[in-house]
Amino acid sequence: MLELAASSPHLRTARRSESMMILLIIALLPGMLISSWFFGYGLLLNALCALLLSSLFEAMAVAMRGASVQAALGDRSVLVTALLFAIAVPPGSPWWLLASGLLFAVFIAKHAFGGLGQNPFNPAMSGFLFLLLAFPSQMSAWHIPAGGGSVLSLDALQQSLVAMFPGLATDGFVRDGMAMATPLMEHGAAAPAALPLAWSEGLPMWQPAGATGWELANLGYLAGGLLLLLWRVIDWRIPLTILLTMSGLVLLGDALHSESIRGSVYTQLLGGATLIAAFFVATDPETSATSRRARLAYGALIGTTAFVIREWAYYPDAMAIAVLFGNFSAPLLDEAFRPSIFGDNVGAGDRNRGTRA
Amino acid sequence: MSELPKTRHSAASFHGGIYLPPRKGKVLRHRIMPQPLPPSLTIPLQQGQGTPPTVVVEVGTRVLKYQLLAQATEENSVCAHAPTSGVVAAIGDCPVAEHGHPPRPCIQLRVDHQDEALELTANSDYLNLDDHEMRRLIESAGICGMGGAGFPSAQKLKAGLAQGVSLLIINAAECDPYICADEALLREHAREVVQGAEILRRASRATDCVIAIEKNKSAALQPLCEALSSSDIELALLEPRYPSGGERQLIQALNGRELARGSYPHDQGVLVFNVATAHASYKAVALGIPCVSRVCTLTGAPLITPKNFDVLIGTPVSFLLNLCGLEPLPTQEFIVGGAMMGRLLSDTSVALDKTSNCLIATSDEEFALPDSELPCIRCGRCAEVCPAKLQPQQLYGAVRAERMDLTSEFGLDACIECGACAYVCPSSIPLVQYFRAGKSASRSWQRQRNSAQRWQVRFTSHRRRLQLQRRARAANKAAKQRVDSAPPFSRAQAREEIAAAVARVKARREQLGVSTDDDAEERS
Repeated sequence: MLELAASSPHLRTARRSESMMILLIIALLPGMLISSWFFGYGLLLNALCALLLSSLFEAMAVAMRGASVQAALGDRSVLVTALLFAIAVPPGSPWWLLASGLLFAVFIAKHAFGGLGQNPFNPAMSGFLFLLLAFPSQMSAWHIPAGGGSVLSLDALQQSLVAMFPGLATDGFVRDGMAMATPLMEHGAAAPAALPLAWSEGLPMWQPAGATGWELANLGYLAGGLLLLLWRVIDWRIPLTILLTMSGLVLLGDALHSESIRGSVYTQLLGGATLIAAFFVATDPETSATSRRARLAYGALIGTTAFVIREWAYYPDAMAIAVLFGNFSAPLLDEAFRPSIFGDNVGAGDRNRGTRA
Repeated sequence: MSELPKTRHSAASFHGGIYLPPRKGKVLRHRIMPQPLPPSLTIPLQQGQGTPPTVVVEVGTRVLKYQLLAQATEENSVCAHAPTSGVVAAIGDCPVAEHGHPPRPCIQLRVDHQDEALELTANSDYLNLDDHEMRRLIESAGICGMGGAGFPSAQKLKAGLAQGVSLLIINAAECDPYICADEALLREHAREVVQGAEILRRASRATDCVIAIEKNKSAALQPLCEALSSSDIELALLEPRYPSGGERQLIQALNGRELARGSYPHDQGVLVFNVATAHASYKAVALGIPCVSRVCTLTGAPLITPKNFDVLIGTPVSFLLNLCGLEPLPTQEFIVGGAMMGRLLSDTSVALDKTSNCLIATSDEEFALPDSELPCIRCGRCAEVCPAKLQPQQLYGAVRAERMDLTSEFGLDACIECGACAYVCPSSIPLVQYFRAGKSASRSWQRQRNSAQRWQVRFTSHRRRLQLQRRARAANKAAKQRVDSAPPFSRAQAREEIAAAVARVKARREQLGVSTDDDAEERS
């Protein structure tokens, strides 16, 4: 075992991981609030339920591993996992769906690999993908409160609660609200002929409250992501390369007049989970590449993968898979793009004069 | 103001680094306090990694100020002189100002407060001495690198001379927070420092000489510019980005090239000396004064009057703290050196040596207790600031897993322990501690591996030897068996054979023309 002696430096920055996690949570709020404004309480209920369940699971997992529960909950990383997971799963999902996803995220994806910092795959996305494979039908329907009233009415809240806890349903209550697919699913299934309309009017099929809620929510996540850049919580390289790669590939498809390339830069970036994945999920430091050039490659890889899955696999949740694929490749990218060490990248003349063995 | 000095612009910028709060202003309000006399001095003999010099005084000897106490005999040892007059009280191992170091040889001097000095011979025409004589004076004055490493300056000059020096750098960057000993020295003795630089330039036969200083060192800049105005020594202004004063970073900034890993500055034709070393060289060569004191910053919030002192080598830390008025705090520690690279003191009875440029009394306000360590989340902030361009997050994983093969691949040996990574780490991981532990573990791993390899070689050759022996034995046995299976011994045949052999020898001798006088011998 290594013997650690007290040592310099004696000064430290005050900035800690916990405060970065709090900033991440704050940055998620604009998008979440806008989304709730348009689609009702489902997302907020998801978030609340996920926060409670994930903290419980985290405490259980840590206790089983014999580590300090207080320290593990204190690092607040599980809260970020919970929120990202809550945003990913459809609003109005039943509680057991959230529980099974989070159980997988916390126990298998995070603690089976050694907990915070050791997990190779993003826990929230792993849990989400687990649900997609295990419960495809529950995962394909988005529950939006039905009825003529506002999605923020008490009635809508009741509907969302019943969706989450089916046991609460009383007689005569309409359990099913409006179930919808994600915009890119819609778009992927639509004929290319529908696209000019989507371009000119901004995804018109997706205007539940008379506004383009989905796009605005995504713009909220974009604002949150820009805040993270401003606060220097995340590095610009990963989100920028993801967005540039995806846009570039669409433009390339356009330039080649390829029949198989659908969509525009606008729908690629503002539809689906592109922005939230680029700013909040792919930048998760534990599972992403670390050095500068490796991060550029990592972002480009995720962007390309997401584009390929969306365009040719017709799969709506491309971003989650692309990010996990990026996670999978991150150690290799780190190895392949390892920067040279000070003094290794010198002219041959200097090196020969050195006393290097 | 007189004409501006020649300036050299940074040729390149080193990777990473951090901007730190300087925290030097309060100390710089005061002038350097002249040599306070403590009741006793404990003069450390060993400098840095070197070997101790040979003591030339005995217990009970009365010595005068500047008198030689220990003579450097090895290449990496440094002479020691009496900082004031007094009686040698003890010679032996004492605890030193480095935490965790075993006691080192020291001379204890009971100060008699007479401060009676030897007659010194000054060289009025010191700049025209030949370089060999300059180096001799520097060596006999006991000057070593006063910026931290304590390497004998005369040896460094010789090493540079052997390779040829194109650039001599006087390092006045002083990038570590709190330390302002060099800044104060330049403010009050800029002319001497510039003369010292000139001496070092001549002693190393360097073509160019640059004094490098961070551009926020406002107290030192004006006197330095004035002192440089009549000289062709250049001035380089550095961005105040820690660790701008790191030797390799400094060379990169001024030379535009990275120093190859594992090589020394003189391999690139560069020598770097600290400002204090230049000042000491001036005193030694021009005035004949050996190195018996240095400027040391005493600072930290618990000190009522933090100041710079011209301290005698061997002054106990506690004596200086009392002079500054120390407010005792429940959790208080003392750091020798800067806040970023200094070392914690084990206790305050220890003495300062030639490399001690700063003494910090810590307080909870300025030095918060280390937060609990969190898991590494691989955020890569450490890699952003690492001036050695390492990936500390990977290195940390390798060190923790004790994968010594990986640590060397990830460049653990290139780590300069500047602490920038640990400073920014959001998980409060004491990375430098891990890297220091990793370095020593790596050294012992290397030793073990070498020894294992040596034994492997021995073992294989041992096995081969055994095999050869076995083969030889088997061959002998076979030969014996052949002999055994030969016809039984007959006396007549033996005689015949002997006669034939004698005849053969005789014939050969005759052929060679050797006289057969010694036939008798043959017969016997």
